[in-house]
Amino acid sequence: MAKERKQRDDYSGPLKRLMLAVLVLFLLAVFLVWRIDSPRVERYRAQVVDKVVPSMDWAMAPITGAINLSRDFQGYQHIVEQNKELRRELQQMKAWKEAALQLEQENARLLDLNNVRLDPRLTFVTGVVLADSGSPFRQSVLLNIGARDGVVDGWAAMDGIGLVGRISGVGKSSSRVILLSDSSSRIPVLIQPSGQTAIVAGDNSTAPYIDFVENPEQIRPGDRVISSGDGGVFPSGLLVGQVAEYPGGRLRVRLSADYERLEFLRVLRDHGQERITTPGNVIQPLAEDVPETPATTEDAQNG
Amino acid sequence: MAEVQGRSRKWKMRFLYMVLVMAVLYVQLLPLQTLPRNWAGPDFIVLLTVAWAVRRPEYTPAVSVAGMTLLADFVLLRPPGVMAAVMVGARQVLKRQESGLRDSTFMAEWATVSVVLVGVLIANRLILALFLVDQAPFGLSMIQLGFNIAAYPLVALASRFVMGVRKIVPGETDSMAGAT
Repeated sequence: MAKERKQRDDYSGPLKRLMLAVLVLFLLAVFLVWRIDSPRVERYRAQVVDKVVPSMDWAMAPITGAINLSRDFQGYQHIVEQNKELRRELQQMKAWKEAALQLEQENARLLDLNNVRLDPRLTFVTGVVLADSGSPFRQSVLLNIGARDGVVDGWAAMDGIGLVGRISGVGKSSSRVILLSDSSSRIPVLIQPSGQTAIVAGDNSTAPYIDFVENPEQIRPGDRVISSGDGGVFPSGLLVGQVAEYPGGRLRVRLSADYERLEFLRVLRDHGQERITTPGNVIQPLAEDVPETPATTEDAQNG
Repeated sequence: MAEVQGRSRKWKMRFLYMVLVMAVLYVQLLPLQTLPRNWAGPDFIVLLTVAWAVRRPEYTPAVSVAGMTLLADFVLLRPPGVMAAVMVGARQVLKRQESGLRDSTFMAEWATVSVVLVGVLIANRLILALFLVDQAPFGLSMIQLGFNIAAYPLVALASRFVMGVRKIVPGETDSMAGAT
């Protein structure tokens, strides 16, 4: 029998080995193509995710619901102290509400006086979180809105309060949000009140760090961090969070958005600002100035 | 007769493997954890593949390992293809070891698997480093490797007693010979 088997191996062995080599080469080719032409493969990835994940949704929703329910139930244990705390906060909030109402009235009056019309294009689509990234190495969520809702790569996603991340990868009915905490996330921001620009870079921790600051000594913990819109990929003026100094001396952002429970996210429609693409034309008309330039350098050399 | 039974069981188990990988993916994707963690649990897709490949390579043919890992690569935002190619290689190595481990103890199997898991990690990181791709944090990968090795007996036990993936016993090969 052993001999018979040996013969069979002799016959099918090389064929199998060839198939295996082809398979491994194919996989490495996929990786190589991804390395060379990343956007195309990433688009393909978005389509794959778009096919796979929403079809699992019917099964995911009840289980997620049940687990969240049990977590909420555990929360009931602390309900008495929480209640006390909430009452205290409510008192403070009532005072704030009064102040806010007055300000709102004042604001409405002023807007009316100035005849201001707010940009009607500044609207949002709200999506439900379908899935998270599924691995501890990446921080992202998948929303149930996609190209059919007009979502475009690069738009900002917020929860009610602060920035959560940006759209990266849009399928027909799903889109992926790369969270600010992901290690590939880089967002241009403005730090108020000192008005310095910086980059908020994620590093797989709850608080992304602040990079490329010109004068770190002007920044204090508690300063507000808002998106600056530099580079044109991201709308400006969205609240990101507050500066906090962490042990190790690095400045980080305590995010305003509640990352613990991301359920509904707003995706802000952004149609980009109009921008001047040919600044040379503004300074001087192109035309016949070209021959003059050598003359001026000559002058400079003579002088 | 036995051969036909063996063959249908083989296909059933191949199908079960794919279903289990999909189930693991599905559980991982549940949107329960949106805060970044500073630890990483075991990678059950890798563990499942390894545990089945070292006991019954015919249940995890290279094509289905490649297909499922490639799907996981795409869904879990990994560079597509690398992990799949490495896993196919790991499966091949384990398949070679299978006949030798048939009569040995579980500890020997565990040691072999641990070496292969370390190899998978190194090969994966090496390819990514070679092509200058951003990598997962090293510490996190090491934690995951530790959990993987620690969780292997659990996965092997579950495969053995729940799914019935047991080592080939003498005498069984006679009917398997025709089927493989």
